[in-house]
Amino acid sequence: MEGVMQTETKIRAESGIESGPRGPGCSLRNFACEQNLLSRPDGSASFLQGDTSVLAGVYGPAEVKVSKEIFNKATLEVTLRPKIGLPGVAEKSRERLIRNTCEAVVLGALHPRTSITVVLQVVSDAGSLLACCLNAACMALVDAGVPMRALFCGVTCALDSDGTLLLDPTAKQEKEARAVLTFALDSVERKLLMSTTKGLYSDAELQQCLAAAQAASQHVFRFYRESLQRRYSKS
Amino acid sequence: MKETPLSNCERRFLLRAIEEKKRLDGRQTYDYRNIKISFGTDYGCCIVELGKTRVLGQVSCELVSPKLNRATEGILFFNLELSQMAAPAFEPGRQSDLLVKLNRLLERCLRNSKCIDTESLCVVAGEKVWQIRVDLHLLNHDGNIIDAASIAAIVALCHFRRPDVSVQGDEVTLYTLEERDPVPLSIHHMPICVSFAFFQQGTYLLVDPNEREERVMDGLLVIAMNKHREICTIQSSGGIMLLKDQVLRCSKIAGVKVAEITELIQKALANDQKVRKEGGKFGFAESIANQRITAFRMEKAPIDTSDVEEKAEEIISEAEPPSEVVSKPVLWTPGTAQIGEGIENSWGDLEDSEKEDEDEGGSDEAIILDSIKMDTGEVSNIGSQDAPIVLSDSEEEEMIILEPDKNPKKIRTQTISATQVKAPSKKPVKKRKKKRAAN
Amino acid sequence: MAEAAAVVAESLAGYRARAARAVLEQVVLPGEELLLPGQEDGEGPGSAGERPLRLNAGARSRGRVVCGPGLRRCGDRLLVTKCGRLRHKEPGSGNGGGVYWVDSQQKRYVPVKGDHVIGIVTAKSGDIFKVDVGGSEPASLSYLSFEGATKRNRPNVQVGDLIYGQFVVANKDMEPEMVCIDSCGRANGMGVIGQDGLLFKVTLGLIRRLLAPDCEILQEVGKLYPLEIVFGMNGRIWVKAKTIQQTLILANVLEACEHMTADQRKQIFSRLAES
Repeated sequence: MEGVMQTETKIRAESGIESGPRGPGCSLRNFACEQNLLSRPDGSASFLQGDTSVLAGVYGPAEVKVSKEIFNKATLEVTLRPKIGLPGVAEKSRERLIRNTCEAVVLGALHPRTSITVVLQVVSDAGSLLACCLNAACMALVDAGVPMRALFCGVTCALDSDGTLLLDPTAKQEKEARAVLTFALDSVERKLLMSTTKGLYSDAELQQCLAAAQAASQHVFRFYRESLQRRYSKS
Repeated sequence: MKETPLSNCERRFLLRAIEEKKRLDGRQTYDYRNIKISFGTDYGCCIVELGKTRVLGQVSCELVSPKLNRATEGILFFNLELSQMAAPAFEPGRQSDLLVKLNRLLERCLRNSKCIDTESLCVVAGEKVWQIRVDLHLLNHDGNIIDAASIAAIVALCHFRRPDVSVQGDEVTLYTLEERDPVPLSIHHMPICVSFAFFQQGTYLLVDPNEREERVMDGLLVIAMNKHREICTIQSSGGIMLLKDQVLRCSKIAGVKVAEITELIQKALANDQKVRKEGGKFGFAESIANQRITAFRMEKAPIDTSDVEEKAEEIISEAEPPSEVVSKPVLWTPGTAQIGEGIENSWGDLEDSEKEDEDEGGSDEAIILDSIKMDTGEVSNIGSQDAPIVLSDSEEEEMIILEPDKNPKKIRTQTISATQVKAPSKKPVKKRKKKRAAN
Repeated sequence: MAEAAAVVAESLAGYRARAARAVLEQVVLPGEELLLPGQEDGEGPGSAGERPLRLNAGARSRGRVVCGPGLRRCGDRLLVTKCGRLRHKEPGSGNGGGVYWVDSQQKRYVPVKGDHVIGIVTAKSGDIFKVDVGGSEPASLSYLSFEGATKRNRPNVQVGDLIYGQFVVANKDMEPEMVCIDSCGRANGMGVIGQDGLLFKVTLGLIRRLLAPDCEILQEVGKLYPLEIVFGMNGRIWVKAKTIQQTLILANVLEACEHMTADQRKQIFSRLAES
C-alpha cells in the first residue's frame, strides 16, 4: 500500500502542472466551487484549489444510531476517503481535525439526538489538501443548511528552506518546504479554530504564517460570499 | 441512516408508467441517460456521470512480486467503494451484499475478459511485475451503479500511464515522468456493462434503470460486451425467468449501446490527450460547468500583500508578554524532583495544538538553539501526567537553563541522553505549552 | 495561540454588523450580525459597549421582533445561522418589528409545529403509525387522529401509504406527532392520499415559494391541465393529473422551477400550453 502511495505522489508531483503562472510572493491558486452537485446528500460541494480537488457531502440533521446518540446536541461525524486504497491513520487524523473544526462552528445544540455527517472524498491531491477539505466541508454544510455560528476556511502556509512564506502551496512546494502549517479560521472574528503543523519553524514564523493565513482567509471568505450570492441570485 | 421508503403510490405509478412506455425522466425504453466523462490532472483519474449517478475512478500502479503460479503476469486489482456520500443507506466499512456483487461483476467484466494484457505488465519474470489497482468510488447513487462503474474503470485504465522501466541484468530502473514518457497500458478491448431492468415478470424491460426504477424492478440482467459484440460476462439476478429470445434481444441492444458508449469514451480520451499535448488547461477545474449558478470560480490567484503580515507579526511577538510563572522545582527525595503545579493534564482534549508534533521528533536541539529564553518557561509547566520528570541532577539542570552560554548546553544534552531518554522527545510539546500559558 | 490570533482578528475584523433593513432581500451568510431598526441609528457599529441598554429600550417601544428560521438571538445580538436571502414581514399593526427570517434552499426537513407535511407510513405498532416525514426521526400518528375514527372504526391505513397531516408536537427534544384532523375534529383535506399519482421531492425553499399566497407558478400550472396537487412543507409534492403523461410533465415542470427565472418559466409554460 505504501508503495502505491509513493509512486502515486511521485507521479503527481511531477505531473503537477499548475494552470496559470504564480506570481512571486504570496498568492492563492485559482479557486472553484460547485454546490449542490449531488442529488442524494442534503448538501454537497466540490471545492478546487488549483489542481487539488475535494468533494464533500453532508447529511443532517438526520437520524442517529442509538449508540451514538447525544441527548443535548447533534452527533457530528466526519469521514475522509482517500482516492487510492483504504483510509489509514493519516485520514483518521485529518478526520478528527476537520471534525473538531466543524464542531466549533456547527450549532449542534439546536438539533439534539440527530446526526450531522460530513463525507469527504479526495478527488485529486496537488497540495494544501487539508485546507481544501475544510473549505469543501464548509461549503457543503452551508449548502445543507446546517445552522452554524460562523463560516470557516482552511489555509495552508509553507515555509521553505530560506524562510520564504508560501500560501496555498502545491504538492511540490509542500514537499520541498521546511515547514507546512495549516490553519482553520472562522469568518466572524478571524479566530483560529484549528491548527496543525509539520516541520520546523520559529515562533515568529508561526505568527507570520498566522497573519498571512488571516489575510488569505479574507479572500477565501470573499470567494464564499460571491459564490453564495451567485447561487441565490435566482431566488 | 435509513433510506427513504418507497410509497405504494410511487410504486404503482412507476409500474403503470412503464406499462405505458413512459419513464420519469422522459426517456424512451432503450435510452441511456446522458454520460459525461471528465478527467483529472493525474493520469488514470476520471469522473463518469451517468445522469445523476457519479463514479470516480483512479488507477495506480506498484511493482510487486508476481503470484507463484503466474510468474509472468501482472496483477489487476479492482475495488469499488460505496461511499456514504452516494446514499444515506451505505454504511461506511460494511461489506454489503450489493457491494460484493458489484465488485465480483466488475472483476468478471474486466479481469476475466482479459481486456488488459497482463503479460505486458511483467518486468522481471518471477520477480517483479506491475500491480495495477483500480479504485472506484461511487459518489452519488441514482441507479445503475454497475454501468457507470464499468465505464469509469475502463476509461481510467485507458487514460492511465505507468512509469517506464528498464531492466539491465538484475537491475530495474524506474524512470520518472520527466526522464521518460510514461507508458500506457496495452488494452485489447473495452468491455462495458449494460443493464436491463425487468418488470412484471419480464414483460417489460428498461435500459439503464434509475434508482426509483431499480426499486420496483423484478429482475436485472447485466451484459458486459465490447464493441466487437463479444459478450464478456452475463449475469441475471432477481430470480426472473427469461426466455432465450429475451436474452438475445438484450444482447442485440447491448451491442448498439456499447458501440455508442465506446465511441463516446474514445472521443473523450482523444480530446483529453489533445488538450494535454497542446499544453491547454485540463483537469476537473476545466470541467466545472460555468454556466450553472451553483458553480463559481475565482479565476486569477489574488496576491496577498506579504509585507503587511511581517509587520503584523512583529507587533504580536512584541505585544506578547514573556512567560512569568516559573515555579521552583520541588525536591521530593534526593534524586527525584517535580516541576510545575501538578494539575491534571488536559492535552488529550486540546486537539488543535496537540496534533502538531508529528514530525518534530528529534528536533529539540534546534529549538533550544533557536530561543534560549524559551527554556525557562518550558520547564515551568510540565503537568503531572507528563510524568513528574525525574532528573538525576536537578541543580545542574537549573544552572544550565539560566546560563545563556553555549557550552553548558552541550553538557545538558549529553546528560539528558545519558540519564533521561524521555525528556528530549517531550521538548516540542513543552514549548508549545509554554505559549499557551503565556496567553 | 488562539488568543494571539484574536488580537489580530480585532484589527482585521471583516464582518461588521449590518442593519437588517439594509440587507433585506439580500444574501446573508452564517455568522453575520444584523442590527434591528432600533439599534442601527445613532450608534456606530463599533461602539459595542452601549448596545445592550439601547436594544432593550428600543425593542420595547418599537413592537415585537420575531426571529424566524436561520436567525438566532445571542444576548442582544441578532445572528445569522443559515445562508439564504433575508426576508421580512411587517407586523399587522404598528411600525417596526415584524418577522425576520432567512430563506434558504435546503433539502433536509426539520419538523415544525403546525406544518402540513406528506408522510409515508413505515410501520404500524399498536395504536400508532410510524410516519416517515424526512426529518431525523419518524413521526407518530395515532389511529384515532383521523376524522370519524373511533376505537371500533379504525381508519384503513397500510404501510407505504401517503399521509397528509399536520404536526401537533414538534420540537427538538421530543418525537414529532402528527394528526390528520384540525382542532374541530374535521379532516379539512388531511388524511390518506389516494393510491394513484406521483410523489416527488423538491427543496424546502421551492415548497415555500409555491405555497406563498399569490404564487404565479401555481396559477400557471393550474392553467395547463386539470390536476390534484398536495404540497408538504417537508419538500414532498404529490401530483395527479388525468393521464400518466400529464402527471409526468407536471412533476418535471415543477421540479425545474427551482432554478428558473420568471421569464424562462413563462416560456416553458407557453410552449407546453401550445403542445
